[in-house]
Amino acid sequence: MASARRAFMVRLARIARVTPAVLGLLDGTGPALARGEDTDLEILDAALTIEHHAIALYDAGLKRALFPPGLRNYAVEFRGDHLGHRDTQIAIAEERGRRPTEARCHYDLGPLTPGDPFVRQALLIEVAAQEAYTALISQIDTRDYLLSAAFILVDEVRHMTVWRRVLGLKIY
Amino acid sequence: MLRAAAATPLAGLALPGAARATEYASASEVLDTIDRLETDVDRRLAAIANVVAGAQAFSGSVAADHAAHRAERQKLRRQLKLPAAPGPPPTKPDPSLPGLRDAQQQLVHAHAEGLPSLGNAGAVALLARHMVDGARHLTVIDLWIEAEEQRG
Repeated sequence: MASARRAFMVRLARIARVTPAVLGLLDGTGPALARGEDTDLEILDAALTIEHHAIALYDAGLKRALFPPGLRNYAVEFRGDHLGHRDTQIAIAEERGRRPTEARCHYDLGPLTPGDPFVRQALLIEVAAQEAYTALISQIDTRDYLLSAAFILVDEVRHMTVWRRVLGLKIY
Repeated sequence: MLRAAAATPLAGLALPGAARATEYASASEVLDTIDRLETDVDRRLAAIANVVAGAQAFSGSVAADHAAHRAERQKLRRQLKLPAAPGPPPTKPDPSLPGLRDAQQQLVHAHAEGLPSLGNAGAVALLARHMVDGARHLTVIDLWIEAEEQRG
């Protein structure tokens, strides 16, 4: 299961043409990166890729009423968090004179089956986000981005834990 | 979302009412703060578990996580040649869920706000992993409070 999740995260990063060095960190095969602004910006690109994908998934789920009844409030909250993560990281990239990774026109989101199967899809992207930020955070050099990434990671863990609880999975 | 935005001191972001993040002077200060806050959470949770049936499993799980984290922080202190953790201050824990939630949030924030002051990638990786556990515990407490509220 862990290898499937990691494969999903790496697939997302490959689709977005994340650099081989960052891909190596995400799939656990690469060495530590040279610290500096270039590395921070590569990490920003990888993180934005996942945030765009998460927003697309939550948009689809909310528009098509795919979340189980009673859970829409969580989906709205988590979508809002991902929008905030996206905007924060776009602002950081732009402040550094970099054009941030944009959302794709179309996302292959899978079967979009309502109810618990869709919650599992949401959980998959949240786990990918949590694992990516956890893998990359120690390579971030600049103070403001490290601080932002830390609080973003806290949000991702909240999302993941709530969906695990909804699906009856172990949370402690 | 607000927490993430509040942590980013960017001129381009409008952050009404956003609190500034605590800036720690050293890795030692970060670790001392985490040790103190973690002890506070342990005491509060133990006090709640003494009076709330069903809280023991969560309390035991958190205590086990904290014991592992403490051991790893002690090792980190030795690696970074930092002094040992000071003893915890004597406190009388408040056995309330909101109090526990506040204490747990402070612990999570101390991890997040402390990462930039560690100055060591290995230390950042370690405390980020601990923060992930702390954020999970915080969410469990939130869900617990929600369940209590729904029960009335």
